[in-house]
Parts: sequence; structure tokens; C-alpha cells
Amino acid sequence: MEPFHHNFNLDNYRKLLKSYITTEDETSLYQAELFSKLSMQHNILPEEIINIHIQALRELYPDLPKEIDSSLNFLLETMISYGLAYQEFQTLREKQGELESEISIAANMQQTLLSTHKPKIMGLDIGAVSVPANIMNGDYYHFVTDENGNLGIAIADVIGKGIPAALAMSMIKYSLDSFPETQRNPSVILENLNRVVERNVDTGMFITMFYGLFHAKSNLLQFASAGHEPGFYYCAKEDKFFEIKTKGIVLGVTNDTTYEQFEIQMEPGDVVILLTDGVTECRVGDRFIDTDEMLEVIREYLHLPAQEAVERVFRHFEKLQGFHLRDDFTLIFLKK
Amino acid sequence: MDLNIEVNDQGLSQSIKLAGEIDAYTAPKLKEALLPLVKKENVTVVVDLEHVNYMDSTGLGVFISALKATKEYDSELRLVSLQDRVRRLFEITGLENIINIDSTVRGGK
Amino acid sequence: MSKTQSCVHIKKEWDIVGARQMGREKAKELGFGTVNQARIATAISELARNIYLYAGTGKISYEVVNDMNKLGLKIIASDDGPGIADISKSMEDGFSTSGGLGAGLPGVKRLMDDFDIESEEGKGTTITAIKWVRK
Repeated sequence: MEPFHHNFNLDNYRKLLKSYITTEDETSLYQAELFSKLSMQHNILPEEIINIHIQALRELYPDLPKEIDSSLNFLLETMISYGLAYQEFQTLREKQGELESEISIAANMQQTLLSTHKPKIMGLDIGAVSVPANIMNGDYYHFVTDENGNLGIAIADVIGKGIPAALAMSMIKYSLDSFPETQRNPSVILENLNRVVERNVDTGMFITMFYGLFHAKSNLLQFASAGHEPGFYYCAKEDKFFEIKTKGIVLGVTNDTTYEQFEIQMEPGDVVILLTDGVTECRVGDRFIDTDEMLEVIREYLHLPAQEAVERVFRHFEKLQGFHLRDDFTLIFLKK
Repeated sequence: MDLNIEVNDQGLSQSIKLAGEIDAYTAPKLKEALLPLVKKENVTVVVDLEHVNYMDSTGLGVFISALKATKEYDSELRLVSLQDRVRRLFEITGLENIINIDSTVRGGK
Repeated sequence: MSKTQSCVHIKKEWDIVGARQMGREKAKELGFGTVNQARIATAISELARNIYLYAGTGKISYEVVNDMNKLGLKIIASDDGPGIADISKSMEDGFSTSGGLGAGLPGVKRLMDDFDIESEEGKGTTITAIKWVRK
């Protein structure tokens, strides 16, 4: 291939080989290691090394038995496929690098596309955290306000993780944006989204979503759920957590579903806790933590400002799982 | 953890026994085993989940695909012996209303 | 420009050996070194095996090319088999057609210097590969 390296290496190799055959010392072997690394840097293939070996041997031992000589040719022949596999591996490794950088660009784009900012609502303290297990997030939350200061909250989880989940999420976001403001009724929103998902998403893929509408003047939270992991309601007066009961099938499975709407009248000190299964399915060793343990952790941080509280809870669970999330993790606090 | 799949073929009545965890890694294997079974006219496929101790939403996706296939092929899908943790997933997602799930509860509530 | 052409017909697996041998002899005559002889033989093996596995029958032709003071060996593998539906795909690394072990067409391209492929679905495939003798 490159005649220059070839000759350069042959000379070097012959000296090394000769010194090893006479001394059998570790220094020569170490130099052999360096030689093979250098060869790789210059894209020298295994069959070329064998060839260099044969030539060096012939020069060192002109009377090399014919049998040994042909056996080395035989060895060279067997190395050709290894050389090809090595070249293929290098090409694939480069391709992998390209793919990884493409994915990270896509992940940035996803963040920009799906970004939502936490609105300021009089009398409501909002905290939200969403962390993907891998680079792309299959969880999603979205806040929207209307001119009366009412707050719409969506929290969703696409089945599966990674890129397909992220693509489905973008579709959900743009559907949500396209619904007129007058139709911000949770059950109507879920019914519309269900049709969108059912029509556009592959069978076997589905999305769970909780949608809530908080009325700023009356402190009433209306909500409906499409098979989403139930959230919790902390009632300050009783100092107790209640599971937020809902009914409704996940989005995208049947084409005409209705979603029952529920409501909670929030009082000062009350907290609505919304989450995805990355929070409830937290695994410690071989065991899943149970609901009471999870609520204990939440209770510990509940007195803090909402944003600080969700971040502290996240850090707590992250640590508990050895800093390795198995699933995307999303947690929202709405503190009255 | 892995998923072990055991299929017992008795013509129109097929049973499939699962053991292990159904997650993003094992779900493709389940899909590959389950879908061909339900894609036969008039068969009944019973899935035994007694030894499945964990399932995530990817697993639900496989059962939804299978359910959709049963409508096309006029076959039937039944899930039996679900552990509480797995049953809860079908309850939350509302899928218990559209998938035939055996009501015998395993383990105390 | 001088041309000498010869060919080996591929009908059964053992014809692959004949094709390799013919290629190696031609390579030796042209003055290729041991490494390149082995590479040419492996490329021919790959092409002949593709014919045997996917087209059933076909042939490997050899041609000495003398182009602008460059001397080379041209290998032409041709068959009337099913053809390749997606040539780009078949040229991708990791897309192995011969059961995972073959180096595939990208392998042939790597082993040789010039590579060209023409294929039409239902009509057959012609692959041309050249290795040049280094001075």
C-alpha cells in the first residue's frame, strides 16, 4: 500500500525480530507491542505484518526450509479476512461517531421544540423537573396560560424510549398547540388527542397523558387522564396524601374514547403532585420502592419552594438508584 | 434479567408461559413469539404471566399489538395469573377494559 | 493496449477454487506480491461465492489491462441471476449478504483498487474490479 512505510517498517521489524531471537528479552516484546500500535495508526493490516515477518525471516535466514516458508504463506492467506473485518470495524466506528453526534443534535432540537416555560400564576407555586434516562426524553410536560390567568398543564409519557418516543412527542405538542383556547377543557383535549394519536401512530405504540386546567380565580383544578400514572394530592388540613383517582384508557388504542373529567378544590397549603412511572418505578437493587416510601421522600421536601422541592426529590431518587435512571423521570408540584 | 417463553401448541388453543421481566430489551422477543400465534383464525391464546414480576409500558405495547391482531383474525387473547404489580399497570392504563384478563387474583392485595 | 481474456464458469461450489486459482496465477504473472495475490484471490472468492449463492450460475473473467502505463488485473463477475434490488444497501458495511461471514461487496471494494457494479432486477449483475500493479 504505502511503499515508504512498508520499507521503513520492514527494516525496523527485522532488527526487532533479530534482537528477540538472540536475547528473548521483554524489551524486544515491548517494542513489538509499540510496533503493532504504530502499524495500526498507519492502517497497516494483519496480512501486511505477516508479509513483513516473512520477508524479515527470509533475509535473516536465507536457508529457511521450504516447508516453513510455505506455511507462512498459508498463515498470510488466513489473515486476509481478519484484515477486512478490521477495516469494516473502523468504518463502522466512524459511522457510529457520526450517528452519535446526529442524535445529540436531534436531542438539542427536541429540547428547543418541546421547551415550555413555567408561567407565573398568582397564588400558585410551580415546580417541574424532567430528566431522560437516555439522551432523548420520552416524557413531556407542557404549561399553557390563557388571558384569564388560567393554567393548562399536560404531563405525558410515550411508550418506549429514545428517538421514536421523541418524535411522537413533537406530534403531541403541536396538536396541543393547535387546539383553540376555548377548548381547553381536559376531557375534550384528551378526546381530540386520542384521535390524532390513533390515526398517526403505529399499532403497539401509545401515549399516556394527564391534562389539568387550573382556574386561577376559583382555585379549582379540573382534570382528566388517559391511562397516566396517577398523581397525588396533598391535603394540608388533614396532612395526608391522596391518590388522584381517574379513569380513562391510554391515547392511541381505540378511536372513539371519552374521558371522564374530575375536579379538586385546592385550599392554601395543598399540593398537587404529577409524575411519570420513572418516579414510581424507582428501583433500589432488586426491589421497587413502594408508594409509601416514595411519598415519605416527597413529604420531606414538600415545605420547600416548589422548584427546589422537585429538584431535591429528583436528586434523592437519582442517588437511590446509583445515578443510573432506568426510565425517564418527570415530576411536577403545584403548590397552593 | 431475561424473559423465558414457553409455547404449548394445541391447535386452536395455544398457551404461552412467560417467566422473567418484560421491558424494552425483552419485549421484541415476546412480540416475535406472541404475534404469529394470534394471527391465526379462531385460535385462543392464553398468556400465563404468573412468573412475570416486572413489566413496563413496552410490554403493554406488545399486548396492544396482539389485541389489534385478534380483531383482524377473529382470534382471542387472554391473560391469566397476573402478579399485582403487573395487573396494576393494566388498571392504570385502562387496558383492563379492552383486554380479557383473568380475574383470579394472585397474591394478596 | 493489449488484452488477453480468459474465464472460469461458476456452477458448483468447487468452481470457486478454480476461479481463485486462475486469478492467483494471473496475478503472479503480472508481478503482484504475495499479499496482493492473496487479496485478489479473496476478492474473486467473494464474487464467485455471490454468484454461486444468489444467481446459481455465472462466470468470472480475467483481463490484463494496460492503461496509461499502468498495468492491472481486471476481474469481471457476471451472472443472469435475480440482480441486486438495492445496490447502495449492498455496499453498506454491516449489510452482509452471505450469512454474516462473508466480507460482502464492501470487502471486495477494499481488496481491489477500482470497483464498479451494474445490476438490474431480474436480469443479472456484472461487477468489475481492478487491481493495479505497484511500481
